[in-house]
Formats: sequence, structure tokens, C-alpha cells
Amino acid sequence: MFGFGSSQAIKRQGPRGSFDLPLLVALVGLAGLGVVMVTSSSIAVADSQHIGAFYYLKKHLFYLALGLVLAGLAMRTELKQVEKYAFPLLLVGGAMLVAVFVPHFGMRINGARRWLNLIVLSFQPVEAVKLILVVYVASFLVRHRESVETRFWGLLRPVLVAGIIVLLLLAQPDFGSATLIIAVTIGMVWLGGARPLYLMLMGLPLMPLLAIAATSESYRMKRLTSFMDPWKDPFNDGFQLTQSLMAIGRGEWTGVGLGSSVLKLSYLPEAHTDFILAVIGEELGLAGIALVIGLFALAVGRGLYLGLKGVEVGQRFAGYVAFGVSLMLGLQAMVSIGVNLGALPTKGLTLPLISSGGSSVLMTCAMAGVLLRATFEINRALDARQMATRMPAMAVADANAAVASPREREAVAA
Amino acid sequence: MNPRRPMQPSPGGRRRGAGPSPRRRMLLVVGVLSLASLGLVARAFDLQVMQKQFYQDQGDARFLREVKIPVSRGTIFDRNGEPLAVSTPVMSIWANPPQVLENADRIPDLAAALGVDAGELKEHLAQRADREFVYLRRQMPPEAAQAVLDLDIPGINAQREFRRYYPSGEVTAHVLGFTNIDDHGQEGLELAFDDWLSGKPGAKRVIRDRMGHVVEDVEQVREPKPGKNLTLSIDRRIQFLAYNELKNALTEFDAASGSMVILDVPTGEVLAMVNLPTYNPNALAGSKFSDRRNRAVTDLIEPGSTIKPVLMAAALSSGKYTPTSPLIDTTGGHWYFQGHDIHDTHNYGLLTPTGVITKSSNVGAARIAMTLDTALMYNTYRAFGFGNSTNSGFPGESSGLLRIGRDWRPLEQAIMGYGYGLNVTPLQLANAYATLGDHGVMHTPSFIKGADNDPRAIVSPQVADEIVQMMETVTAPGGTATTARIANYIVAGKTGTAHKAAAGGYSRTNYTAAFAGLVPASHPRLVGVVIIDDPQKRSYYGGMVSAPVFARVMEGALRLLDVPPDNIGRWYAGGPLMSPNGLAGSKPPTDTPIDDAPVEDEP
Repeated sequence: MFGFGSSQAIKRQGPRGSFDLPLLVALVGLAGLGVVMVTSSSIAVADSQHIGAFYYLKKHLFYLALGLVLAGLAMRTELKQVEKYAFPLLLVGGAMLVAVFVPHFGMRINGARRWLNLIVLSFQPVEAVKLILVVYVASFLVRHRESVETRFWGLLRPVLVAGIIVLLLLAQPDFGSATLIIAVTIGMVWLGGARPLYLMLMGLPLMPLLAIAATSESYRMKRLTSFMDPWKDPFNDGFQLTQSLMAIGRGEWTGVGLGSSVLKLSYLPEAHTDFILAVIGEELGLAGIALVIGLFALAVGRGLYLGLKGVEVGQRFAGYVAFGVSLMLGLQAMVSIGVNLGALPTKGLTLPLISSGGSSVLMTCAMAGVLLRATFEINRALDARQMATRMPAMAVADANAAVASPREREAVAA
Repeated sequence: MNPRRPMQPSPGGRRRGAGPSPRRRMLLVVGVLSLASLGLVARAFDLQVMQKQFYQDQGDARFLREVKIPVSRGTIFDRNGEPLAVSTPVMSIWANPPQVLENADRIPDLAAALGVDAGELKEHLAQRADREFVYLRRQMPPEAAQAVLDLDIPGINAQREFRRYYPSGEVTAHVLGFTNIDDHGQEGLELAFDDWLSGKPGAKRVIRDRMGHVVEDVEQVREPKPGKNLTLSIDRRIQFLAYNELKNALTEFDAASGSMVILDVPTGEVLAMVNLPTYNPNALAGSKFSDRRNRAVTDLIEPGSTIKPVLMAAALSSGKYTPTSPLIDTTGGHWYFQGHDIHDTHNYGLLTPTGVITKSSNVGAARIAMTLDTALMYNTYRAFGFGNSTNSGFPGESSGLLRIGRDWRPLEQAIMGYGYGLNVTPLQLANAYATLGDHGVMHTPSFIKGADNDPRAIVSPQVADEIVQMMETVTAPGGTATTARIANYIVAGKTGTAHKAAAGGYSRTNYTAAFAGLVPASHPRLVGVVIIDDPQKRSYYGGMVSAPVFARVMEGALRLLDVPPDNIGRWYAGGPLMSPNGLAGSKPPTDTPIDDAPVEDEP
């Protein structure tokens, strides 16, 4: 009320943006739950490694703080700037993905080359690449809107870029992230207006590629099949999953109580990272899982809703970025939850915003920051539109000029 | 799209060939995502509500374990409430070898705390690397175990146990027995009353983490039932006295072994039972198995002359004899009977039946035996418990050996009259004397205080009392056991010196020196049997070797039990009792005992 009054008193200088509150609540809620659950699930792990009970909590908080700085920066950066550097960023992302194969620079852990050795800490380029790809595809969709909507070639280009990234990821190997990136890219070009026919044509050669990738190495094949019946071999292939299922099954409706999980006591591997949902399921029960899914649904729903609004008001880049980031968060969460619940093959994917894990926490925060920024700019555009309808004379002067992209203005001119 | 246009989607804004509008496309995406989310929630519901039992059972099978709640074994007390066997909590250190070997650099610390060699420990663990549970050291003192745990080495755990401790050590070793490392009785009363003492360990269900640590107690499956305490009839003070005196005697006479049994005459309760050699039940390792035998109930001896009061019970019961008549001719000290030389140490001439006891005349005993009906003599021996277990309940108790009367040959019957040809345990002998002391009523010897010990009359009270009076003469001047005298008390007893049976007959140089006696004779309260096996030095006569032990132990026991002297009435009437040698309150009169007579050889 007070705000409204004052805005009436002071003459408005221009359209004002705002961060979407429900989205912010959902994101902060997830991150807060993450801190609690990382603490709960990592104490036993840290204890058994004799590195102090709160080692992983401190690590998580450190990366979360770093991520908040990154998110804060992203929230204050005009998306136009980001859009401008989309291609160079893509090159940097690609370079990082190649760099993991450079001896000494890339790190090999558990037979996978996913990490860059930055001396003090290690970094997983794929986490950054997820955001970069979203930004690149969004900018591509804005720049080549017409060809994407009408021509097969226009559709093929972003998909090809994603395909190269996927190939690099498969070489690491990181099947989970590769799948995710394919899914998000398809989702974005679909929302960007690609023809369903072309999209299906595009998908055809992809299918055997995935099949080959999945069957080429025996451990992946095992992972693909073992989730169907983890109890066939509960001590080898099905080990992780059976532990996860036991944890979740113990939770019942409301869980065994925070901190009371038994499976986190050295039974369930990766309890504080990839399988944190199992601990949530055990300690907080179905209610906890529903809460997590609900918060993700709220975040993704708000992101997609505002993205749609943005596209409708001409904030296409912000809208596409919102689509991409929402899909990336939502799909990754879904896959991670699905893996924990034994509904999907076991993949090394963290639960965004909740799981511990340096690069993931850092870049998920950055993504959240970019998403919030997108909502800010979309809200600003909506505000401008409202001003335009209320006070056309003032609005034309600055609001649209400020927010509309040059491409948009060209279109108007045409 | 033109932002200036008020509303989307407008069909005019759509490009040629483009798909559905953004809203429609979004609807599809949201629909797919929503369906997937609902699918996940449904899956979670299925796991957490519908199928929870399966997963919980699987989980329980992995980390729910039933563990024992150790219970302490009941304490064994003596009759005055002094502890004889107590259970003390100890800790056993166990290891999960693979985990310890992962931290091999800590093994030297661990070895130091355990007090073992580091190399050996490592090898020990390496050999058992495929196991998950290996004891490193059992039954450590709790503080030492805590020191090991404080090292905080992964894979090292402790388990609480109880260990038996015997404060009286070797003094009560044979009676109490001992327990094994799992706290179960192996010998003696620990074995006999194992069920009573051991109690029932409880069980609880616990959740264990993958390293084997107990995380949470879930429920108690069985309530732990601690062992019940046991109060013995043993009097620790008398036990100590008997032990010390027996030990001194063994040293003095260089004897191989010895036993002493003291019974409470009115109840048949065992007040003391000691054996030598003995062992330390607190440190079993290294002790000889033969030393662990409770000789007083397991070993058989030939009673020798100590049987003569029982013979006399048969004689008096027959009606042919009274304590004073008829006279028995032992002239010459030898009786050649069926080619066998039954002989005494001296020529006693004519003896009354009492004289046969006093002088311990073998000839007299044999002559009396030959006048008795075989069945009567056999039945009397049998009634006094020979050839039968006393039913004391002591594990491994021997029943002795007594041939059936109808199989006796005449010579056998004669020899049986002075205690050869049959085997008895010291406890049986003590019980027979206790029967005489309790006016012919026999009790089942018992190690438990206040036990119901089944009294039954064996001989008439008159016969029993007469025999006790006859036995008084044994410690009187001219008897064989003047060394058994106790100041102010009258001791009724009988010596026995028997040749030890050896391969091919009886040994000429090895004897069993025995003394069995009742005190105070007028109202017998205590019965004691002292058996000293194979004394090598100074003397081998029961009157010289065993009787002094009896006197010294009983003197102390009478004082401890506050038993009034026999002739206390005379104290009040005329002041301190004077004896021919002076004041009879301070020390017993000293006469040299006459020698009782072992036979030279066996028929």
C-alpha cells in the first residue's frame, strides 16, 4: 500500500522489473532444505572418513556462498549482455569439455573424465555447459527464429551444437548429463516453435546413436538393465539402488525423523550427493518427497509461465532462457528423483539445489540467478506494457525502446 | 511478435508452416512434466506406502541384528555372606580385520595397547582378513579396554562380558570349581548349579551401521535374567583353617596329597572341604588336571581302622555285643585266619569291644566281624552309605565300592571288619561318622545352607551314642589318637592307617593316614575327616599325622562357631578344670598315642 502510494507520488521514471516471488521462495526453499539434508546425510560419511562430522556441510555452505555471489551477479546483469556473449561462452564451454581430456588438467575419477583440476578445487565443466547451452540455444532461437520455425536447417544447427556437446559428454563418459542436454535442447526448440515433423526427423538418427552409446560399454548396459530388477543382484549392480529403495521404503508417510536415517550410515553410497533424495525419503517420508517435487514444480511452473509471458511480450531471449533453465532444473530433478526411486536407470546426476557437490551447487545457483534475472526483465516488460496501455505517451518514449531488442524493432519496421 | 500488439496469439502473427502457438506448445510441455511428476509421486507412494513392508524387511535383514545382553553370574556366598565367587565386568576387544588392515599404520599403537607384538597382530589379522569378527583379546580390565578404544582405530570394537573371580582362590577352588571363558560352570558347584547361577542372557534388537557399530536400540526381545545368588554351607573361616593346617601337615610329613571334610552334625551341611594339592581358579592356565580334582568326593580310599566304629554299630545292633562285653581274645597280636596273618602292632591280650576301638585292634575287629551275620554287617555298612553316592550333588562324586554281602568270603568279611576290601570317599566317611554323632540319623550331605537334607534313622540312637562314647577312649590316655585332643572338649574319633593299594597287592611303604572324629563328644556338633595320603617323613600313623590336623582345625572351628565345651557345667561348679598336667583350660593333655595297626598285606 505504502509502495503504491509513493509510486504515485513520485513520477515514474520508467518500467520497473521485479523478481518473481513464488519462484524465489521455491528456489530458496529447495536450497535451505538442501543445507539441512546435506548436513543430515553427510555426517556419517564424513565421520567414517575421519575428516570431521561437518566437513561436507562446510564444503556445501562454501559453494553455496560462492553460488549466491554468482547468482547475485547474474541477477544484476542485463540479459542483453549475456545474449551478446552467447557464442564466445559456448566456445569456452566446448573448450572446457575438451580440456577434461588433457592429461594433468583433466581429472579421472572412477573411470570418468569429468573434472578439471583447478589446483585448489576441481570443477565439472558440464555444469557450466548446461547454462551456456541454454543461453546459446535461446540466443539462437531469437536470432534465427524464422528459419527455426520453417526450415529444417535452421532447426538442425542448435541441435548439432547440442549434439557435439553430447558427444563430448559421452566420451567422458557422462551419460546422464548427455541425456539431459538432449532433452532440454529438444524442449527449447519445441517451445521455440520448431515444426513437430522436423523435430521427429531429427530424433530418428538420434535414437540408434543413444542405443549404441548405451550398449557400447558393459557398465552402462548393466546400469540400464539393473534398475528394472535391482533385487536380482542386490550386492553388485543393484547395490546402490536397493539401498536407496530400502531407505525410501522405510520412510512411509512422514519419515523416520530428521537425522534418523539408517541407510545413510555407510549403507547407501553417495547419500549426500546423487542419492540425497533417498535420505529425504527415509527421514521425511512421502511428505518430504512430495515437498521436494512440489517446490520443483513451483519453480519450474513459475519459470515456464513467466517465460511464456516473456515470449508473448517480446522478451524472447529472457523467455527462452527461462524455458531452458526451468527445463534444465526440472528435468534434472526429475531424473535424479526417478533414479532414486528406481524408476530410471542409475545415472550420476545430482538433485539440483539440494545435493552437495561443488560445481553442481555453484552452477545451479548461477542458473537460478539467470532465471530470476529473466523473470525480472519479463516483469519489467510486462510493467512497461501496462504503462503503455495506461499512459501511452510516456511508455513509447522509453519503456519499449529499452526492452525491445534490435531484431524486434527490425521486425516491427518490416 | 510486435510488443505493441495488445494480445497474443493472433492468427495473423503466425508464420507459415509453424507449429502450434507457444501456449499450446507449452501446454504439451507442462502436461508431460506434470504427468512425469505425478508418476514420480505415485512411484514414491508405491514404495513408501504400498510396498513398504518388503523394503523394510530387506532393510531389517541388513542392519537389524539381535544382540545378546550379557548378564552377570550369580554370586556365591559362604554361609556367613562372605563372597566366594563374584562376577566382574570385563571387556573383550574384537576387530573387523579388513577395516583394521586398511589402517595398517595404526597397528603398532593397537598392539602396544593390547600388549602384543605388532608383527604378530598384523599377521593374525591378515590371516583372518576374510572374516568380520575376530577377538583380539578377551576379558580385559575395563580401563585397559577403554584405552584401546580411545585410540579410535576403525574396525576395533569392544564387547562387555563378565569374568568370574574367586576371592578365596585356591582355598575354595575344589568346592567351587570354575567357569569357562563363556562364563559357564565347568567343575564343582559352578557346574552343579550352573543353571541357577548363570541366569538367562537377554536379547535386544539393534540397528547397526555398516561398520558394525550399534546405532540404536530398537526393542528388547528378551529380558535379561541375571543369575541368582547361591549361599553355600561352607564357612570360609573354617575352610581357611583346614586349608592351612592341612598344608602344614603335608609339608611336615612330606605327603603327596590330603583332604579334609568338616560336616555340621545336626544338618549334614558341609562346613569345609579342602584338598591338596590345589590350583588357582583365577589363573587356570598351567594347573595340572589332577590338582583340580576334588579328592574329598572323587577319590577312593580304603578306610582302614576308621571303619571299626561302623563295624561296632553292626555288632551292637546284633545284640551279641555291648561296649563292655564279651571279652575278645587278641592274645599274641596275631590271628592266622584261613592262611592269612591278621595282626596288631602290640599284643593287647583280652579286650572289651571298647578296647578294640581304643587300641584299634585288627584281630579284635576281625573276630567280631566273623561272629556277625554277613547280611547284618553288609546292610549296616550299606546303611552308613558305603558303596552308595551320598547324593550331595557334587559333580563327579564317586559312590565308592562295597561288594554285595552274599558274595563275601569269610576272610573277606574278617578283613572288611578293619577296613580293607572296600573303597569309600572321605565325604562318605565323614557322613557315616556324622550319623553316629547325630544319634543314628543320617543326613544327605549338602553344600547349600539350609537345604532340606532328608534325615533318616540308620541305627538306634542308643547304639550310636554308645559308639560315640567308645570312640571317646581313642583320644583318652592309652588310645591311638591322644594327639586329637582339644582343650576342654572331648573328642570322639578313630584313627586309620591303611596300606595303599598298589599294583599287585598292597604297598609296604606307602600308607594312607586317616582320622575321623566328632566333637564335642557329649553333643556332637562337628565331624571332621582328615585323610593324608602317602606321608613319607617322620610318621605314617593316622594318630600322628592326621589327628593333630583334626585337633588344630577343630579347636579353631569350635571357637568360631561358639560351641560350648562338653563339661561346661563343671566350669561353673568348680572353676577351671585341672588335669594331671596342670590347668586343663589352656592346652590339651599330651600322651603319646599308641600305634594303630595296618595289616602287612592283603588276602
